[in-house]
Amino acid sequence: MTDQAIAGRRLQARDNKLSDEMFITALVAGAAIVLFLLASMLVPNFFQFQNVVNLVTNNWSVIALGVGVTFLLVSGNFDLSVGGIVALSGVMAVWFAQASDGTNPLSTGWGLPAWLAMMGALLCAVMIGALNALFVVVLRVPSIIVTLGTMMLARGIAQVVTQGSQRNTNLPSDFGALGNMTMFGTSIKLPVVLMAALILIAVFVERKTVFGRLTYLIGANPVASRLSGVDNARHVVNLYLFSSLVAGGVGILLASEFKSGFSNRGTLMEFDALVISLLGGVAIAGGFGSVIGMFFGAIVLATVTSAATGLVLSPDWQFTLKAIAVFIAIMAQTWALARRHSS
Amino acid sequence: MVQTALAEKALSIKDLTKDYPGVRAVDTVSFDIEPNTVHCLVGENGAGKSTIVKMLTGALEPTSGTMAVLGKPYQPNSTQDARNGGIGTLFQELHVVDQLTVLENLTMGMEVSRFGFLIKSDLEDRVTKTLAAIEPGIDPNARVSSLSVAQKQIVEIARAASSGANIIIMDEPTAALSEREVERLFGVIRRLRDSDVTVIYISHKLDEIFELGDNVTVMRDGKHIATKPLAQVNGRPELIEMMVGRSITHDYRPRGDIADNPVLTVKGLNSHLLKDVSFQVNAGEIIGFYGLVGAGKTEVARAIYGADKAHGQVTFKGRPRARSPKEAIASGIALVPEERRTEGLFTALTIRRNIPIMNINKLAKFGIFQDDQEKSVAKEYVSKLGIATNSVEKYAEKLSGGNQQKVVLAKCLFADADLLLLDEPTRGVDVGAKSEIYDLIRDFANTGRAVCVFSSELEEVLGLCDRIFLMYDGRVEAEIRNGATVDIPKILNIVTGGGKAGT
Repeated sequence: MTDQAIAGRRLQARDNKLSDEMFITALVAGAAIVLFLLASMLVPNFFQFQNVVNLVTNNWSVIALGVGVTFLLVSGNFDLSVGGIVALSGVMAVWFAQASDGTNPLSTGWGLPAWLAMMGALLCAVMIGALNALFVVVLRVPSIIVTLGTMMLARGIAQVVTQGSQRNTNLPSDFGALGNMTMFGTSIKLPVVLMAALILIAVFVERKTVFGRLTYLIGANPVASRLSGVDNARHVVNLYLFSSLVAGGVGILLASEFKSGFSNRGTLMEFDALVISLLGGVAIAGGFGSVIGMFFGAIVLATVTSAATGLVLSPDWQFTLKAIAVFIAIMAQTWALARRHSS
Repeated sequence: MVQTALAEKALSIKDLTKDYPGVRAVDTVSFDIEPNTVHCLVGENGAGKSTIVKMLTGALEPTSGTMAVLGKPYQPNSTQDARNGGIGTLFQELHVVDQLTVLENLTMGMEVSRFGFLIKSDLEDRVTKTLAAIEPGIDPNARVSSLSVAQKQIVEIARAASSGANIIIMDEPTAALSEREVERLFGVIRRLRDSDVTVIYISHKLDEIFELGDNVTVMRDGKHIATKPLAQVNGRPELIEMMVGRSITHDYRPRGDIADNPVLTVKGLNSHLLKDVSFQVNAGEIIGFYGLVGAGKTEVARAIYGADKAHGQVTFKGRPRARSPKEAIASGIALVPEERRTEGLFTALTIRRNIPIMNINKLAKFGIFQDDQEKSVAKEYVSKLGIATNSVEKYAEKLSGGNQQKVVLAKCLFADADLLLLDEPTRGVDVGAKSEIYDLIRDFANTGRAVCVFSSELEEVLGLCDRIFLMYDGRVEAEIRNGATVDIPKILNIVTGGGKAGT
């Protein structure tokens, strides 16, 4: 390109009213709405307010996990350990809370009060996060390998503790309180409200705080951010601890809701959390994406799967449909961004 | 065939020209290269050597002019074409596959197969012999990952030689080698020459040229200055004279007396490359570090900035050496890194987002970012530094080199630094922006703050700096005070390694 052409383009360029992130978020939100309307035309009784509410409330756990995963992806790191942590923290909370006088090993625990058992389980979850941070930040092992390993480690410990099945007896009566508490006189449960609060806080941190800014900088260019005085290492450590804390919370709330610690709980949740982040426009290479986008990504995925169930497709089709949704969404984003940048 | 080859020129270049918008990088250059010689190509940075190499290897298309290999017209469109035409290249980045053995690397791309299965052929014997002829010390069955950089280079040379290249281009091959490895490489090059290969050798180190070369071509400002046998060159002074001409003009204006008031003191700085570097920088002073690529300038800057590991005593405003860039910035040091696009800028972000990064907490209250302040700060710096853009919302990647560099400078200025470290501050920057950047640097120093410029452009340090430290091979070899009487040939002699030998 000649200098003149560059100068010409410079004159034509105008302020972008929307940032790229807002543009992609709007795109995903639009896709979610279009898909919902489409499903409403095809599936009888789909077009109901309660259905919209269900799309969110049925997926609170994956959406909550998506917050930590999104922050880490934006900083250029993977977290595949969250599903394993959900299993681990749930199983540990139950084990710690089970009375110590059970009739068989699976009904015998530590006899701690429910709140202390949950704190202990949270600590176990954060230890997995610390392990992630140690290997990724200090030993510089690629995060996808590290968190794949800790995912198996966390689930492995859960399986040992439950002897490959679950613990659900001999629990104190208040253990199920948190997960089943309904709010504001509606049928909405506490975990859903906590998830909504987490989203709001995350959006605020991401958009308005220095911490959020630094997360983007590290993902956009880790070399430049270090030379610009950002403590990349400490920041990524904090993000891993945060993500594991959220996953631990999700695991405990699920254990409370079902009054059981199940070693297979949360299986594939790490991939769902990753998929909704990518659907929501988070760049897999880091430096780009938003929590709101991830939220709408979750709605897109939920709409597709629930509409499929409504269409009396056998549940066997779920994975295939998810795959198609992911491919279309990611191609559409790439195309839209490229068009936007060339215009 | 050997006889005809001897009669023809190995390579002849006629009226070769390469134009870039606004610049003629290579200007009607003609010269011949005799077969079976080591032909050296010398000139300062920007003289046009690498542009010629790129045209020879097919990476660039000449604007006009012709090339001929052994008398046959030669018009490569790719490095593959160049290889088929008999020209192999040893690039600075090596292209060997670490996971394979030496032999597998040598035969790569030339394997003989039947029905998709590899079969044995005489190919392996042939390449093994070639390798043994140029360097018997390398085991053909060794994994390449176990070899040193120097040995990997030799594997790559052997690959070029066994694929039938009559000409091998080597661009600064000794930059990453130790002294002993250099000797061994020279042995390899001599053996190549004896086995009917012509070597085009590019290096800034003039000692190497005299030790190794048969003929030399000198380039300056894109023009061909001379091609002659090195035996007829009257030592380093004549070569330097040809490289520099009288073309270096500099507009250094003495900036008044600078008091002896050191803000930065460096004593005995050592790292993997630096050897016992010591110097002082006074308040209000502009210091230059001049040396060739690889002399250790960047390493000095990064060591002071806490970006690399180093040992030695560094004192800035009475405080010890920063252990991280974060600490350095907090103590008042800011760095403009060597690689603007990958180390200095966030190209995917807008100008507005880039400027506050080095001092981001200044725009925050209780950890909450003040968006509106950011915009006004960005606008302020865009006008202060004359960044040519119609909006602060423009992405940094869409700016020209000069404006990108100004954004990096704006980052440093916003960090309220008392010492600016500028590593190649005007590389790839157009002339207009260059002089604006120089003015910004002078203005900065005139307020009593200090600047260190690390540059491989002599004109830059001579035009800008009050004192200049000359670096060669990780050491500060000399300190000179700038002024009308600076002895340019002497400077070039020192930075090309002539300081120690006393030539």
